[in-house]
Amino acid sequence: MGLLAIAMLLSLFGARLFQLQGVDSKAYASRAEAAGLVNIALPAKRGQILDRNGTPLAESVAGMMVVADPTRTTPNAEAIAKLLADRLHLDYFDLLGKLTKKNDTTRFVYIARRIPSTLASSTMDELKAHNYVGVDTRPDPLRTYPAGDVAANLIGYLGNDPTKVSGGLERSFNGMLAGKDGKETYEVGGGNRIPLGDNSQVDPVNGKNLTLTIDRDVQWFSQRVLRTAVESAKAQSGAAVVLDSRTGEILALADYPTFDANKPGKAAKDDLGSRALSDVYEPGSVEKVLTTSSLIDAGKVTPRTRFTIPAELPVLDRVIGDWFPHGTIHLTLAGVIARSSNIGTALAATQFAPAELYDHLVKFGLGQRTDVGMPGEARGVLGDRDSWNTLTRAQVAFGQGLSVNALQMATAINTVANGGQLITPSLVVGRATTTSDQEVGTETAKRRQVISADAARKTAEMMEGVTTQDVGTAPGAGIEGYRVAGKTGTAQEVGGACNCYRDGGLDVSFAGFAPADKPRFTVYVVVKHPSDGASGGGTAGPVFRKILNYVLQKYAVPPTDTPPARIPTKWRVHGRG
Amino acid sequence: MSSLITAAKAGARTRVPRFAEAAVERARLTVVPPRRAIGRTQAARTPFAVLVIAMLVAGVVGLLMFNTNMQQASFKATALQEQVNTLTAKEQSLSMTLDALRSPQRLAVAAKKLGMVPPGQPAFIRLDGGVLGAPAPATSENSVRINPLPTPAPPSLKRKTLVIRVAPQTTSTAGSQADTRGTSTAQTRGGDRKNTTNESDQSGATH
Repeated sequence: MGLLAIAMLLSLFGARLFQLQGVDSKAYASRAEAAGLVNIALPAKRGQILDRNGTPLAESVAGMMVVADPTRTTPNAEAIAKLLADRLHLDYFDLLGKLTKKNDTTRFVYIARRIPSTLASSTMDELKAHNYVGVDTRPDPLRTYPAGDVAANLIGYLGNDPTKVSGGLERSFNGMLAGKDGKETYEVGGGNRIPLGDNSQVDPVNGKNLTLTIDRDVQWFSQRVLRTAVESAKAQSGAAVVLDSRTGEILALADYPTFDANKPGKAAKDDLGSRALSDVYEPGSVEKVLTTSSLIDAGKVTPRTRFTIPAELPVLDRVIGDWFPHGTIHLTLAGVIARSSNIGTALAATQFAPAELYDHLVKFGLGQRTDVGMPGEARGVLGDRDSWNTLTRAQVAFGQGLSVNALQMATAINTVANGGQLITPSLVVGRATTTSDQEVGTETAKRRQVISADAARKTAEMMEGVTTQDVGTAPGAGIEGYRVAGKTGTAQEVGGACNCYRDGGLDVSFAGFAPADKPRFTVYVVVKHPSDGASGGGTAGPVFRKILNYVLQKYAVPPTDTPPARIPTKWRVHGRG
Repeated sequence: MSSLITAAKAGARTRVPRFAEAAVERARLTVVPPRRAIGRTQAARTPFAVLVIAMLVAGVVGLLMFNTNMQQASFKATALQEQVNTLTAKEQSLSMTLDALRSPQRLAVAAKKLGMVPPGQPAFIRLDGGVLGAPAPATSENSVRINPLPTPAPPSLKRKTLVIRVAPQTTSTAGSQADTRGTSTAQTRGGDRKNTTNESDQSGATH
């Protein structure tokens, strides 16, 4: 009798045991976990973006996200909402809605993200002091851009959602910068971790730093000078590039208009990228440098070659004119460059077959991306080699009928500065891989001889004439005591109702380097669509001069103390007086 | 005789063990005396049990203390971790402040306040006293605008001046009442109003 009772009781226990262990075990296990197990993500720290001197241009600091459990905050929702609205500058009514319970299933809402952790913890202390429960913080790294708009066009920005990186280097090097998040699971009791409890940890792998060749100070200065010029000329936009002539490192790549990387939402969408790379335009007369240096390299002309320039030059169905009215004048090649004569350049270019000129320009890197690691770079247009005729040759010779981006043009001019050797420009120090698996950086820079060192020197001497008083088109771009080589550019843009050059705007530019006989820095400036009577020498020239002046002084480049090249720019026809 | 022999034999038989009596006595197995032995084991067991119990108690107490200690360490670890987090956050916010102070824009603003301008052209002094470059004093012309121009107000916010042409016989006070007149005549003279507005925009006339 007693045994039967015990057997019945035991079989009851057995049935319950089977129910717990066999049937519902998973549900109970997960409930047990939910009761005391904490599962947190350990966000990887995003790598910094540094300038060439190690100054941070973008950095991640410890931030917090503030989260809440509405089922627990409901009793004090109004008071909590008021406190959070005051401290974190959030909307009170928005908060009230979030903190009030709607149903039993919602137990997690985001209150605010990317709050500096000092602010978050002081707010939490205050909540604790009032005994308000249900609000919690989680780590959420915060991205800041200490210099604001400096190099923002290059760096891009990080939006609220870390999975959607927008623009610039933040995007193209996201894989390297982001790192890999880790996670941690542990049991807690009363807010403290239970020793010897269940726990597992996967350490986060922090992102790597990206060091740029940009010099923050030069970048800042270039941006300010450029902004002033664009504003004064009431222009649409502008770009400035500063290259180290000997290494091709980009010291500054300024764009205007640009934006504050800390407040990307306030800027126009078009201003969030780098126009210097994404916009193409006709380079105008700056291109004459490439044409003439190629001609000199091929041995077709010398700086002293004499040209008789007519008032206008008919080519096929068009008539080519000069920017300054003149009758028949006699200029040397140096004079053609110094006074920027379209007709003279077109005449000189006749010594090349159209395809020959095309090949030379390809060697200068036109029509090919510079691939510095920025997303959205435009390739530029050089047309189809076989379709070039004598008119294309004449137009391209002085910079019409082809298009480039600002960095391409700066690189091409830098070839002349660097003894005829083209160096692919670089924006990243060392070596780094973009998300599209492209290796970029100073270590991957390629060099190739495009023109002979002798041709480069002669071209530089001709370019000195441009900044020489009473000789060239831009004496204002010269720096006293230095030999400065330069070239102005004023290109008409195709546009307007007729889609012709007449109604489009102007693009004025200036390219050059110093010291002319031992170049150290190459600066290229372009101002697009100025509305006042602007010219390459008058608008872009002063920007060029100020930036060049700044880098020469900052990097302590002394004048070379050599006499300037004085190549005759005019010649006299004997026997006619 | 035979009995004698037998007796003698028997005597000889008993005499042999008697001969080594002490050895035999010693070699004979005996049962271990029970009472003495029990008394001895009882006396040895008590300290052993005490020892075992003491070890057990010590172990339990030790484990408890160890656990408590570990718990205590865990509290301390949590507290220290919190302190680390706070200090790291503080260090980072300080370095953020420092970065903001070092920003080129802020320095430029401060330098400008002191009346400084960038040099017009670079020049260098050599250690031997020589001068490189062409030194020239910087002037206000060398200054660089470091702040953007104020954003122009959108056209919708621009104050539009309405000029109403009135008949020549109107008195001089008509000018000051132009606005009122303009609004009152706007509907009836819509076409005129448009024209005059355009004109005033171009000439920039105000009143």
